[in-house]
Amino acid sequence: MDFELSQDHKVLRDSVREFVEKEIKPIAMQIDEEHMIPDSLVNKMAEMGFLGSYLPEEYDGAGLDMLSYAIVVEEVSKACGSSGVLISAHTSLACGPIYTFGTEAQKKKWLPALNTGKVIGCFLLTEPDAGSDAGAISTTYRREGDEFVINGSKIFITNGGYRGTGVLFATSDKSLKHRGVSAFIIDLNSPGVEILKNEKKLGIRGSYTTAFALDSVRIPAENLLGQEGQGFKIAMDTLNGGRIGIASQALGIAEGAFERALAYSKERKQFDHPICELQAVQFKLADMYTRIETSKLMTYKAACLKDAKKNYTAESAMCKMLASEAATYVTKEAIQIHGGYGFICDYEVERMFRDAKITEIYEGTNEVQRVVISKILLS
Amino acid sequence: MKILVCIKQVPDMESRFRPNGEKTWYDESDLAFRMNEYDEYAVEQAVQLKEQLGGEPEITVLSIGPERTVEAIKKALAMGGDRAVHIRDDRYYQKDPWQIASMIASYAKGEGFDLIFTGMQSQDRGSAQVGVIVAELLGVSCATTLVGFSYDGGTITVKRELEGGIKGVAKLKLPALVTCQLGLNTPRYPTLPNIMKAKKKEIASLTAAELTGEAELTATAAIYPPAKKGGGLVLEGEIGAQVDRLMGILKEKTAVLR
Repeated sequence: MDFELSQDHKVLRDSVREFVEKEIKPIAMQIDEEHMIPDSLVNKMAEMGFLGSYLPEEYDGAGLDMLSYAIVVEEVSKACGSSGVLISAHTSLACGPIYTFGTEAQKKKWLPALNTGKVIGCFLLTEPDAGSDAGAISTTYRREGDEFVINGSKIFITNGGYRGTGVLFATSDKSLKHRGVSAFIIDLNSPGVEILKNEKKLGIRGSYTTAFALDSVRIPAENLLGQEGQGFKIAMDTLNGGRIGIASQALGIAEGAFERALAYSKERKQFDHPICELQAVQFKLADMYTRIETSKLMTYKAACLKDAKKNYTAESAMCKMLASEAATYVTKEAIQIHGGYGFICDYEVERMFRDAKITEIYEGTNEVQRVVISKILLS
Repeated sequence: MKILVCIKQVPDMESRFRPNGEKTWYDESDLAFRMNEYDEYAVEQAVQLKEQLGGEPEITVLSIGPERTVEAIKKALAMGGDRAVHIRDDRYYQKDPWQIASMIASYAKGEGFDLIFTGMQSQDRGSAQVGVIVAELLGVSCATTLVGFSYDGGTITVKRELEGGIKGVAKLKLPALVTCQLGLNTPRYPTLPNIMKAKKKEIASLTAAELTGEAELTATAAIYPPAKKGGGLVLEGEIGAQVDRLMGILKEKTAVLR
């Protein structure tokens, strides 16, 4: 067993880190305040290849592996959780399923623009009454000649505000439950697609979280992804991979907060000594670091298993659960170490605290992760 | 055109430095490593020249050091180098600038490079000698501390940073060697697609023993941290008297009030 990153992965990590330090860190606070990632940053990340990291070069991806992707999301999220989830949702939830389930024609048509960031991808599954119970969606589709006609609504769509390319789930008959669900590739500029709103949120404020109304939206029949009725399987498989992205995002947020807390504990003096000399603070740092390292091991393991084309369902659920809980714990303790200053926006750990919470919820709540893990144990 | 870029992998300057057991170098177990900053300007300038000439020049990247040096080489390849030569040497830190330069020159001699770029010095040893010695050994013209560079029809025009904020301009005919200073350019980030492409580029491997028979001219006797300074001088008492004392010290010990 070798727990060292390869030289190639180290080169990648250092390059991404350098980019993040210079291009993202200085504007992370602005992204949170303005509820928006500047287009200039999205373009720069696209030029860096962050939006198609593990997709093959023949579709204009960077051709790297899942571990590289995890490292990219982690490093970006150290500075900005909003930018991290933009990459994660785009890559795992839009590029990912089109690559895995798409026909050659679909891959050639849709992936190059996504992989190079010319359009931003999203995943339209969640509805007002279908969250964890994804088989219960009520957005419908029906065939009309060479087209599918879609009606319904979608909420909480990460990256939806970019109106790029979506992977959309709809049912032919709600009574069939998950067996009635099919997946489609949708251009979100199509007539009948209406953005109802971009949500205001506790954290990851720079990331769009969009509600859509879909009113008789016509999709060419060739945009069916996989077979009819295969949609639920596609959704579950996609989320399985997506969890590695969210774990990486959570891990990055935790590391970002930890770096600040560690540095602050050495600078801040009380009772004539740096507070890092107090055992109360030392124990916090030890607990925080241990949770980060544990999460990192599991996240990288899940990524490596996926790269090795082995089953990684349990590991992706465990890493998502571990890393998101590490993120909420570490960011909370980072504020505590900062004392009153931590509660103030300028010290940034309060933003990280707000950004962390969603990682316990999206791409499968941690309760759902526990269901996934225990099902595997008991199957 | 054949271009050579000589780079070094150095400790990240934010690492914690401690002398090693032999007390002749740093304990590397505590160190993180990166490409020498000045060498990044060298790589960038070479790649810009390649772009200017429509991709015609071939850029070879050379570095001397242990296995980990490949990380810096791969970064240079991801920035736009075409191929690389890694001279494997685990005891690189015991070699003086003469030996290092002799190794580079003995490799470069038969290769017919038109232009050699390197950093103006390394961030760790900081001798600023290797580049100029290589130029001397190869018998090519040389300009140091570049903050500006242009190429036109076999001649390069360089802006050099001199002492006291003065700049100098020099024209050199190829073949030539130049050393690069902060301010010359902004090194690009290696992009993910280019990191992928770099994986497929050739990294030839040589051993130090194949390239040098030169004995050292200077040897490191000892390396140690500077003695801890006292806590400085704290002026106390009435504010007017403090100002008078400060003025006296500044006049006596510095040039600021002259």
